[in-house]
Amino acid sequence: MTSAPAVEFQGIDKNFSGVPVLRAVTFSVAAGRTLGLVGENGAGKSTLMNILGGNLRSDHGRMVLAGQPYAPGHPTDASRRGVAFIHQDLNLFSNLTIAENIFLTSFPRLGGAPWIAQRRLHTRTTQLLHDVGLDLAPDTPVERLSTGECQLVEIARALSVDARLIILDEPTTSLSARETDALFALLRRLQAQGIALIYISHILEHVRQLCHDVVVLRDGAVVAQGTIATFSTAALISAMVGRSLTQLYPTRHGAATGEMALEVKAVSQPGIVRAIDFTVRRGEVVGMFGLMGAGRSELARILFGLEPHASGEISIAGQPLAHADARRRIEHGLAFVSDDRRHDGLCLHASIADNLALVSLRSHARGKFKLIDRTGWQRAISRIREAVRLTAKANDDQPVQTLSGGNQQKVALGKWLLMSPAVLILDEPTRGVDVGAKFDLYQLMLDLADRGSGLLVISSEIEELIGICDRILVMSQGEIRGNFRRTEFNRETLLTAALPRETQT
Amino acid sequence: MRPRPSSPGILVLRQAPLILFAAIVLLFGALAPKFLTADNAINVLIQAVPTAIVAVGMTFVLLTAGVDLSVGAIMFLGGAIAGKLLVGGQPLPLALGAILAVGVAFGALNAVFVTRLRIAPFIVTLALLFIGRGVALTITQTRAMNLPDSFLQLGATRIAGVPLPLMVLGAVVLTAQVVLMHTPFGRQIYAVGNHPANARRAGIRTQRILAAVYIICGFCAALGGILSLAQLGAVSPKFGEAYEFKAIAAAVLGGTSLFGGRGAVFPGTVLGAVLIQSIETGLVILNADPYAYPVVTAAVILIAVLVDSVRNTALSRLTQRRIRVDA
Amino acid sequence: MSDAATARSWRATAARVLFSDYFVLWLCVVYVAVVAPFTPGFLTLENAGNLLATLLPLFVVALGQTLVLITGGIDLSVTSIIGLCSITGALAMNDDTGWLARSPMAMPVGAGVMLAAGALVGGFNGTAITRFRMPPFIVTLASMMGVSGAAVWLTQSKTINRLPDAFNALGGKTTIALVIALVVGISVHVMLSRSMFGRWLYAVGHNARTARVSGVPVNGVILGAYICSGVLAAVAAILYTGQAETGSPVLGQRILLDVIGATVIGGTSLFGGRGKVLWTLFGVLFLKLVDNSLNLLSLSLFTLTIVKGVVILLAALLDSLRTRLGPADR
Ligand SMILES: Nc1ncnc2c1ncn2[C@@H]1O[C@H](COP(=O)(O)OP(=O)(O)OP(=O)(O)O)[C@@H](O)[C@H]1O
Ligand SMILES: [Mg+2]
Repeated sequence: MTSAPAVEFQGIDKNFSGVPVLRAVTFSVAAGRTLGLVGENGAGKSTLMNILGGNLRSDHGRMVLAGQPYAPGHPTDASRRGVAFIHQDLNLFSNLTIAENIFLTSFPRLGGAPWIAQRRLHTRTTQLLHDVGLDLAPDTPVERLSTGECQLVEIARALSVDARLIILDEPTTSLSARETDALFALLRRLQAQGIALIYISHILEHVRQLCHDVVVLRDGAVVAQGTIATFSTAALISAMVGRSLTQLYPTRHGAATGEMALEVKAVSQPGIVRAIDFTVRRGEVVGMFGLMGAGRSELARILFGLEPHASGEISIAGQPLAHADARRRIEHGLAFVSDDRRHDGLCLHASIADNLALVSLRSHARGKFKLIDRTGWQRAISRIREAVRLTAKANDDQPVQTLSGGNQQKVALGKWLLMSPAVLILDEPTRGVDVGAKFDLYQLMLDLADRGSGLLVISSEIEELIGICDRILVMSQGEIRGNFRRTEFNRETLLTAALPRETQT
Repeated sequence: MRPRPSSPGILVLRQAPLILFAAIVLLFGALAPKFLTADNAINVLIQAVPTAIVAVGMTFVLLTAGVDLSVGAIMFLGGAIAGKLLVGGQPLPLALGAILAVGVAFGALNAVFVTRLRIAPFIVTLALLFIGRGVALTITQTRAMNLPDSFLQLGATRIAGVPLPLMVLGAVVLTAQVVLMHTPFGRQIYAVGNHPANARRAGIRTQRILAAVYIICGFCAALGGILSLAQLGAVSPKFGEAYEFKAIAAAVLGGTSLFGGRGAVFPGTVLGAVLIQSIETGLVILNADPYAYPVVTAAVILIAVLVDSVRNTALSRLTQRRIRVDA
Repeated sequence: MSDAATARSWRATAARVLFSDYFVLWLCVVYVAVVAPFTPGFLTLENAGNLLATLLPLFVVALGQTLVLITGGIDLSVTSIIGLCSITGALAMNDDTGWLARSPMAMPVGAGVMLAAGALVGGFNGTAITRFRMPPFIVTLASMMGVSGAAVWLTQSKTINRLPDAFNALGGKTTIALVIALVVGISVHVMLSRSMFGRWLYAVGHNARTARVSGVPVNGVILGAYICSGVLAAVAAILYTGQAETGSPVLGQRILLDVIGATVIGGTSLFGGRGKVLWTLFGVLFLKLVDNSLNLLSLSLFTLTIVKGVVILLAALLDSLRTRLGPADR
């Protein structure tokens, strides 16, 4: 007799205000094995995991956990039964320290008293941080951490409860390659201890490296399952997307470079970036590669006028911008898709239409009182929706918050399309986006370039930059350390250039 | 490679509220030397006790991104009931117990409406402000009620040379500080204030936390009411009016955010309450035109908050992460 | 089968009522229907006139508050602005000492001075909030204390009489007041729903950081909201002063919680991003209906306060019910 499966889903159904999101989902995770859960954005992966984690309740169906019926009404029920959940969108409290975040509901106490045992809290946190490979003091406030570091804290929290089943919902979206390797080593140790894992990711390579079994969800239903060895990557993709995808990157037609779109000369900001020099021409797609913390996002924010710079010059389409704010830069044709779409890219509670229209409102304002031309506005919105291939299911008035991650990203990019920017800066544009939607996003970006915009694409994924860029800049320690043309693209050279130099302390 | 925030500039900035407080005290001292005497300092402290205690309770609620507008009404209703009991010849402890019971009951009522029925705290406590004052007015028949001397004695009692109100304040502040900083409950309050939905996902019983803070706030309001009555000696129909604003102002002056998750009872809120009281007492000593009081108080509050916001901006810039070490 | 179907259609109807913009209006209708039989003189034309006269100025202030709440702020200074505007206008126009005394231009210039005073205080609030990043609650609380303190100080707490008739008519004649309130209401409605500034207000309230990255002049928008609030409070001051035919520094001092309460009962969120003119209108109507009916019952002041509290709670209860029946996770 084999032991009971770690968890069994039996006919799980879930509706959100009448829209079915999960339909009769039935599968099980074998004890001690790792299951990869894959599917397009909006397929229902996170929703299913939220049901397992006690955040949502299913409409129909039941779950069996290690042979016992299981119906969590609250996240604490789940953790009491040994289910730990690493959330897709980070679930940390910026005003608390790392240690407090990890032990928020399970503080070590002094005897039976309600006091927190600070010493023990400190040592246990130090141990956990060591396990996940994070070299920070336990009393560091979380607001001081980078996204990658936050993700590691979240993982440490899952380890802190004595879990038998750990759910990892896209845990590597903001981890560097090195951090990812460390995480995988850690997960392998957990596997060896007989802990079952459910691993959700859009990076199929990772799924292949880590998982024993795989389940593919499409439109809320299980469309394929089995051991990972029985699936080729192409087969997985076509199961996810429902059609076969012949290439991962669209073909680049143009690459005809025009006049200067963005010129950056000797831009420095003490402690952040130094002597940044580069240009982007119209119609050119320039990649910017680097490790986490190399200063790429900071540079992007400086270019867009969100952070100050001490010296240097930035000009757009030949026009120097002294210290103009973001609004003036947008008027000059600069556009920016931030890597933090929840805080900088979207109004989550506002509707899809309002989000899409925000940037281009000015072009629809008529007359002295700047009244919005409704019909033109409506037409523009449907045009963008079509361009970004937003799911037909969502209607214009739906809050963006209810969209899946990939579709949220399409909205965040879509709002810039109407202004045909001279330069578009994209910071990690495909993070957490499924293969199909990634292709759509690349296509959108290349189309923009073909229509004469210059693109600066910041990414930590070498393959995607190699796949779509004409030129790649490499950044490290706040400096630009390399500039490679298409013919010189080579994984190893790029990676070497990105490594920090150990000369200074 | 985290910068340790310890340079002198940062230290000065961190202590900016204290420095501002000292500056105001010195200013009043320069204008009226009497202000700087030890007697006056203790007097200001004692006068500030009721506001400080109510504001401590308010801080708990503000930390969860809520607000309690009913504190003044709680004070008034408690006073009215106690006054009736005392006039009717009931013993003092019973009256005091009644006041505290009113506070806890109102807090619980607020809690039920906020957590079970999911009504915005602003509205719930606004409604209870009206109801509480209305009931109290009915009880007192809108007349002022004098309290017996035994009540006034409360304010004058000294234990081991320390005035009773100060003892009470000390006990309240110490308890609050320990609860907020060193118990799981306290830390969870901060988490709920930071992001209620995430707090629920993290497994915190958010409803219980919310319920608790309103009850704590009600209790503190009642306690503050007792000490205030012990100073005034009578329950007037205006008793406790606009106290909610005073308490919120004290908490916010002490650095507590109205959006939840940020702030502290000590020194924050206590300092805020003492600051407000210092201004009032200082103006009295200076013999200023009574009409000028609110104008001066408003100006000082504005300056204090201005300093605080400038400080926060500067601090966050100074402690910003650095990517490279530049010469 | 059909049972389930009727149940569903019943639910659908209930949901449609609950979620329509007119929910609070329905509430008003129900309230009138329930209370009218017990309240002599409630359903008379004269009472309707009284109701309207007290409703209009409150509506105008509440509109300003709505704009500020949409940006995620709050304006506690509106009542003190009313007091300040009332005395500045009266000081300028009164027949005894005013520099505009008996001038034919007294009414327009006086009103203009009042509007300017309102804009000034609003501008001060907005500047402190945007330039110096101070929290709105504290800034406007301080200006509430400071401005009303200054108004009382200036007049030594005395009222100012003998205002020009033309000016008194603005608030005293309900028809004129109605026209003013309508013009204001419609302009604000058009601004919120149709203009760029209106869309910006919502965006700033939803997420100021995103708004900034999207090229919205966030500081300007917030400043604008507070100036509007100040100006609308000044318009209310014109109406109130005209009604009372005296300038008083404490005019409107007691309506602060009514203003915010009515706005929020209407459905505007204290956390920004949500609010409409119609909602505020119905919120004000509801609150005034309650006030008015209780006055007619000649209840004592304290019973009136209690009932008002209970009614606010009930209205909020219904509102929470509809959010809970609504789409999950909001
Ligand atoms: N609270 C909600 N209200 C309405 N619809 C929702 C809500 N939450 C999720 N949805 C919808 O449910 C569907 C499934 O979402 P879910 O987050 O589970 O997708 P996912 O597979 O995790 O996608 P991703 O890979 O982008 O994370 C989506 O279409 C989403 O729009
Ligand atoms: Mg997901």
